[in-house]
Amino acid sequence: MRPGVLALLAAVWLSLSGPYTMHELPILIFGLLSIAFVWRLYLALDRAAGGGSEFFRASSWLRLPRFLVAFALKVAAANLHTTKLILSPKIELHPRLRRVPTSQKTSFGQVLYANFITLTPGTITLDLRDDELLVYALDAESEADVMDGSMDRDVLRLEGGSD
Amino acid sequence: MNGALDIVTAVLLSAGGLFCVVGGIGLHRFSEFYQRTHAASVTDTAGAGLMLLGLMFQGGLSMVTLKLVLVLAFLFFSSPAIAHALVKAAHGHGLALELEIEDEPGRNGDAAG
Repeated sequence: MRPGVLALLAAVWLSLSGPYTMHELPILIFGLLSIAFVWRLYLALDRAAGGGSEFFRASSWLRLPRFLVAFALKVAAANLHTTKLILSPKIELHPRLRRVPTSQKTSFGQVLYANFITLTPGTITLDLRDDELLVYALDAESEADVMDGSMDRDVLRLEGGSD
Repeated sequence: MNGALDIVTAVLLSAGGLFCVVGGIGLHRFSEFYQRTHAASVTDTAGAGLMLLGLMFQGGLSMVTLKLVLVLAFLFFSSPAIAHALVKAAHGHGLALELEIEDEPGRNGDAAG
């Protein structure tokens, strides 16, 4: 995956601001330097994190579209629900805290799951400890979205753990 | 730019703007810090997402759209990180969270599976 990150960085830079003529040689040099710098940073972070970023294997990229669709649908539904809560004449919330087990194998997978929960309005991740998330939910319905484990499975499927 | 695409863009931009306003209203109407972060996340996801999507229809299949996709991707990594940093800081410094952790699902009979 490490050369993959390098290739991704190069592709992003090339498509956003890459030089397309040889007149722009200085830009090419600065671009290569910045790619090398970011890659170096990535390697250092990866080492500091204990090497948990083997998450994105090639096969994960293939499963990404399906995940994004599931993700978009869940976030959209949660947005509508939270909007309803916000605009209801009388604000009635029953906030609650829950420990939620994570079944992802990599730390990247766990972070993705935690971010998924946080991005879904109505639920937010407070903490991640011992493979468990501490989740704060606005009401029973928002909580049920997390507790039914479907987001967990979405991320797990992307990771390649099941299905 | 043809008319149908302009209409799609207009609808998406308006809807995105509406969600931004809703997030703002929620920020005011909700009563305490933790609840307010939820209202803010409506602005972050539905608001920003729909607006960027609307702009992508104007960009078509071009570099502009690629950049918008990247903006969306970075936003979807940074905004939960920020939200998490906020609530974790608040939680860690003991901002009152008058709740017990519920460990057993369904104890209140409302945690639908």
